[in-house]
Amino acid sequence: MDFAPVIDGFGVVLQPENLLYCLIGVTVGMLIGVLPGLGPAATVAILLPITLTVEPVTAIIMLAGIFYGAQYGGTITSVLLRLPGEASSVVTVFDGYAMARQGRAGAALGIAAIGSFVGGTLAIIGLTFFAPLVASFALDFGPPEYTILALLGILLVASVGSGTLVKALIAAAIGLLLATIGRDSFTGSERFTFGILQLSDALDFVPIAMGVFGLGEILYNLEDRNNNTKAPTKVTKVLPSKAELKQSSGAIGRGSVIGFFLGILPGGGAVLSSLAAYAYEKKRSKNPERFGQGAIEGVAAPESANNAAATSSFIPLLTLGIPANATIAVIYGALLIQGVTPGPQLVEDHPDIFWGVVNSMYIGNVFLLIMSIPLIGLFVKILQVRAAILAPITVLITLIGAYTINNSVFDIFLVCLFGAIGYLMKKVGLEPGPLVLAFVLGVLLESSLRRSLILFGGDPTGFLGRPISGTLVAILVAVIAFPLIAKLWKSKSKQKELV
Amino acid sequence: MTPDRAETPVTAEAGPTEAGSVDELVAQWEDEKPPASGPVTNVATGALVALLGVAGVIGSRSLGVGSASEPAPGTWPLIISIGLVVLGLVLVMRARTAGFGEKFSVDSWRVASGLATMIAFTLLIGEIGFEIPAALLAFFWLKVLGNEGWRSSVIGAVLMPVVFYLIFVTALSTNIPHRF
Amino acid sequence: MTTSPTRRLKALAGVAVLALGLSACGGGNLGSDDSGENFPDGAINLTVGQDPGGSTDLIARALAGPVSDDLGVEVPVLNRPGANGALAAKELASKSPNGQELMVMNLSLVAITSLTVPEDDAVDLDDYTVITGISEDDYVLVSNSGSGLETIDDLKAAGSVDYATTGTGTGSQLSSALLFKLAEIDGTAVPFDGGSPALTAVLGNQVDVASIQLGEAVPQIEAGTITPIVTFAADRNEFLDDVPTAVEEGYDVEVAQARAIVGPKDMSDDVVKELRDAFTKAFETKDYQAFNEKNLLRPQELDGAELTEAWNQSIETYRQLTEEQGIDLGSSE
Repeated sequence: MDFAPVIDGFGVVLQPENLLYCLIGVTVGMLIGVLPGLGPAATVAILLPITLTVEPVTAIIMLAGIFYGAQYGGTITSVLLRLPGEASSVVTVFDGYAMARQGRAGAALGIAAIGSFVGGTLAIIGLTFFAPLVASFALDFGPPEYTILALLGILLVASVGSGTLVKALIAAAIGLLLATIGRDSFTGSERFTFGILQLSDALDFVPIAMGVFGLGEILYNLEDRNNNTKAPTKVTKVLPSKAELKQSSGAIGRGSVIGFFLGILPGGGAVLSSLAAYAYEKKRSKNPERFGQGAIEGVAAPESANNAAATSSFIPLLTLGIPANATIAVIYGALLIQGVTPGPQLVEDHPDIFWGVVNSMYIGNVFLLIMSIPLIGLFVKILQVRAAILAPITVLITLIGAYTINNSVFDIFLVCLFGAIGYLMKKVGLEPGPLVLAFVLGVLLESSLRRSLILFGGDPTGFLGRPISGTLVAILVAVIAFPLIAKLWKSKSKQKELV
Repeated sequence: MTPDRAETPVTAEAGPTEAGSVDELVAQWEDEKPPASGPVTNVATGALVALLGVAGVIGSRSLGVGSASEPAPGTWPLIISIGLVVLGLVLVMRARTAGFGEKFSVDSWRVASGLATMIAFTLLIGEIGFEIPAALLAFFWLKVLGNEGWRSSVIGAVLMPVVFYLIFVTALSTNIPHRF
Repeated sequence: MTTSPTRRLKALAGVAVLALGLSACGGGNLGSDDSGENFPDGAINLTVGQDPGGSTDLIARALAGPVSDDLGVEVPVLNRPGANGALAAKELASKSPNGQELMVMNLSLVAITSLTVPEDDAVDLDDYTVITGISEDDYVLVSNSGSGLETIDDLKAAGSVDYATTGTGTGSQLSSALLFKLAEIDGTAVPFDGGSPALTAVLGNQVDVASIQLGEAVPQIEAGTITPIVTFAADRNEFLDDVPTAVEEGYDVEVAQARAIVGPKDMSDDVVKELRDAFTKAFETKDYQAFNEKNLLRPQELDGAELTEAWNQSIETYRQLTEEQGIDLGSSE
């Protein structure tokens, strides 16, 4: 493996501007992780207009920082308030809050910071070696491979969402349909534009992401639900003791490995991996009854896992061009807007972006570790900023930001429209994630499918005749079949129980 | 590193109900969830989705559906639209088991009015610049939706447009329509 | 939880400062508001109907600097991609012809794209004021070096050929479609989005050949990974003097991409002259000439009337050829 570009990548990261944006990214990430309400996908979406004014690599460094920074920020509220700021920190609540009640909040936050750092760093090392391996097959990826990859990505994300599969697929299909609006790139004819000039150039990704994720979430939070903020627990002695460190070192290692591998799977990501890491620690523990009562491994494992997963979920994006979750989908969109198409070619064509972003994660994790421990007090204060004050600020940033992308009032309307759609989707139980993801992948999926069909002369079995696409088809079939089989098996055993 | 600084003296006031074990905590979260919508919402959603699909099928046919070896502009939209029809019908049939969203509550008016302020903002911005609409929007969100006091609402409504002006007009010189 | 209003406002200010800090680092884009009698009055927007980084964009940026120096106003390059540039062109047509709004127009947009879309959507050169021509860019048909396809006869012998184009309504599509029709080669067009993906498809053996712009092909030709078969230029290119033109091979296919600076219709002669002078000075700068050489662009710095005539001729030729040969560029065949 040629290490020159890796080292050049460090040169990219160490440019003052990139360092600054990395710092801003992780700080904003931690902040929004702490503040209940806005998640990383919404924040990344809202900040998209800002990224248009800087270099692609700088933009992605910042957006990535928000993503993994939020994983850590979410921990703080889990431990102190028993309110998970992010879904990926839900399990941390069990032992983290118990520790806080025993006066060990500091140790819980400290071990989470250390675990996040170790997990994140191990995952970057994995990413460094793994990504070029995939990229070496880059030229073998033609239209058929991209078709199956895009399908696989959408299906995986849809199948692990929090709702039911039918609803996730509906959201994805709507996203795919939205992506067809505008001029057809193969023939130039207009599709579903209803004579509106602005639609002839296809729907812009930014207003959709800003609307569905950003405004949709703000509108959803307007309905009073369970946000009676409790006063945080007192934090004392942030550094964990030597004994606690020793006790949790194994958990950090195992959590990192679990997180890394689950993060690679599209749809896996941070949430699933933190659950898996917690369950695994509990299972292998000699006295599992300690879990839920303030076991430090119960904080260390899921926190290492969710950070490792957040990092490794960049692997499918940077090597295959397939976003693994909603936040990464928004980052994918940000790259496309910058004129950079993520995919197997990325590491060859834009080594500066690839290695710049990867290496920025080392720095970002160091920032997180350095900042989190002394800044915990500050974050506790920030928790007292009322949602009532933040909401209008966020709304105005979103609306004004939407205008600045294309200097168009039409775009603000689109943001409002998709804000309403995002809210309604949440209300009826449709997840916005698959919609945005499918919208992002829609153009790639359709054009690859059409190119493949032209190349195969209309014969769909052509997908099976190529080694890589054939393998991918097999994985696709397994992904579809597995939940069905599991469900059948489950319902059978349920029937037995009833009998 | 200075651990002392983190010793923030925050009043350690315990939450109203302290759940001890994991199970109790999960049960409590379940209780605090807003009331779920029922199968009727699922039926309505499924029907709407199927209708969207039907509209898509009609639209795709007018674009030309082509064939497998010669895909036309309508081929792909047709595939998705048929998918939407099928998925919509599946949701209707499985309305009871497909998982529920949330009921629309009395509070939903807050969402509608919040959205209305944004649309009003959008309509006004091209005419009179962003400052006054932004102040009005901020005031409404602070006072009515946020239940803030008069004083802080007024201060916030004045301060926000000023700060946004400094950022977007003075510092960034964007083309955002402005009056002043 | 009780917090005093001042404390809340402090927090508010904190968030605002954060937002300020965030966005202040971003830099910004400038624009001018009003039109005036004196030219130039503030920034002159140079719109590009393609994504940043493509040939058209690079050309616009190479010219914007020296023109800005000469006229003493900002000349920001604004990318407004969509529909091969039709979107940007449509917007330009509705702007005031005061000289503050210009665009880099591609020949393919008026001559080839207009053959593929309904009449209402076609971009007509008559709706614009031409300031000056810029340069021409040749197309070359390339194959993967490992494929052994080196001449048109090899392609004929291959039976059927899959070829990548850089998109519908481009010179790439027109040139290859015409060649394969005239040479009676059974070709299947696979449209890609631009030169780079089409080139990648050739490199990865996804397709057999592709017609792409010379500047984009040169690095890979030099590296020996792709083989040039023919160029679609009028004369052999200096750089590739051993590669025949399609005409030499006996197929009358001459397709090139040309670019011009245009403004909205009915610009005043004085403004046109002032702009043309500024661009002419830009053409004479060393940096710009080096840029042309590096990208194998042939200068075609005609004035408005000459350029309109040259382009109208191309438009007519392309229309006749496609009609005679019964080539329908609008479908993916």
